[in-house]
Amino acid sequence: MSIANRQLNSAWSDWWAGTRNAELWWTLAWYDVVLRYRRSMLGPLWLTLSTGALLVGMGPLYATLFKVPVGTFFPHLTLGIIFWTFFTATINDGCAVFINGAQYLKQPGFSPSALVWRSLARNCLQLAHTIVLYLPVAIWAGIPLSPRMLLFLPGFAIVIINLHALTLTLGIICARFRDVAQIVASMLQLLMFLTPVFWFPSSLPGRSHAILYNPLAQLLDVVRLPLLGDLPAPGTIRFLMAFTALNVAIAAAVYRLNRRHLVYWV
Amino acid sequence: MTRLLLDGVSVEYPIFGAHALSLKSTLTAAATGGRIGREAGVTVVHALRDISLELREGDRLGIMGHNGAGKSTLLRVIAGVYPPTRGRIERTGSVSSLIDPMLGIEMDATGYENIRLRGLIAGMRLAAISAITPQIAEFSGLGDYLSIPVRTYSTGMLMRLAFSIATVVHTDILIMDEWMSVGDAEFQAQAEERLRQVIDNTGILVLSSHQADLIERECNRGIELSHGAVVQDRPLGPIEPTIRLVSAG
Repeated sequence: MSIANRQLNSAWSDWWAGTRNAELWWTLAWYDVVLRYRRSMLGPLWLTLSTGALLVGMGPLYATLFKVPVGTFFPHLTLGIIFWTFFTATINDGCAVFINGAQYLKQPGFSPSALVWRSLARNCLQLAHTIVLYLPVAIWAGIPLSPRMLLFLPGFAIVIINLHALTLTLGIICARFRDVAQIVASMLQLLMFLTPVFWFPSSLPGRSHAILYNPLAQLLDVVRLPLLGDLPAPGTIRFLMAFTALNVAIAAAVYRLNRRHLVYWV
Repeated sequence: MTRLLLDGVSVEYPIFGAHALSLKSTLTAAATGGRIGREAGVTVVHALRDISLELREGDRLGIMGHNGAGKSTLLRVIAGVYPPTRGRIERTGSVSSLIDPMLGIEMDATGYENIRLRGLIAGMRLAAISAITPQIAEFSGLGDYLSIPVRTYSTGMLMRLAFSIATVVHTDILIMDEWMSVGDAEFQAQAEERLRQVIDNTGILVLSSHQADLIERECNRGIELSHGAVVQDRPLGPIEPTIRLVSAG
């Protein structure tokens, strides 16, 4: 079989060669998850249980602290924590994606984008472990099934596009500058407090609404609100369209300029 | 038609010291005009200088040279892993390397799972891997051990598995760093024969080695690298792979 010749290809076809080889990145991601659990007894349940324990511990406490009814707060918090964990885990993994995959990049015909997809797929598999917790919470809170929930799908697609672009950009930058990963990790920690993971955006006083215009808060809205049976604000959609375009453009530029150097850096 | 052309290929790559690997230090140095954190820490390595080669179907190229002469870099350029900084490379045909047979071996995965992983990394499809798995299993002689995690294997067994997977490829251009051999005596003859077959079926072989007699025996062209440049390029005697196969078997 013919293996793509990386240096002769354009950046685009190089990216596509890794993307279309879903068998490769999906299997690698699958084994990443399966092998991690192989020697632990609880296996995949561990992640579900620990997230569940966190939710049960935090839900009633924070509802009391913020003086909000636990029935509306709990589903909000559940999805907030589940998606926030997914975002930060994916972004932090993204920083190391090429450093950890150095061996693979030195294999003939191995496209870097396959490593990006592997990281995303692994994190999606982990999301699948925790998102199931929302089901009992939604039933308990009496959230009715609504056709609006289908909007989760395009919302999640926007999230994936952005996380892919971010992983590509950060993966390349972190391969060159090894301290960027720590900078990113601390920024994410700061962003957690500026994002309505734990609190309701409606409890913000008027002028401070500006802090909601951080990309992660907007990305959180676009997947969380549909699952709560609500619609994301039109402003969120406009913001995300612009942000996604910018994010993808940056990733494409960083990739195009650096992909030939990448293998020498790792 | 398998063909490989290198035209004036040079490779220079930076080795970053601790300072240059840090964004903070790099920015500090840039912002202060280099007064703080002046040590840039970037060393540029001229790994290959102006290499031109043309190889056609049936060619067996041997690469000699001291450690650090650029042999591995040249192999990686030919494999398409390292893009040349200058010059161009043209290649018709698929390429595989037997450089690192242990790549992608997951210790916690079973033998069968490792066959699948390695095959995918080498660019095969799952369907093709399933088709050749029995063949790999039989050749490795590992039997039921293939169903248990490879971390329980002895070193010899692990090498058998890695070798069996690595040599299953059919490729137009084969790249090898030293002759691949497997430790245990019983398997060695079998492995040698398998390697022979793979090499005989491949259009172009590129083999780097420290052993002059190996290159003399296997190759019809030998180059010697020194400091990244070709210092010697000579034809070697013709080889008769089929005759050798019979005598080896």
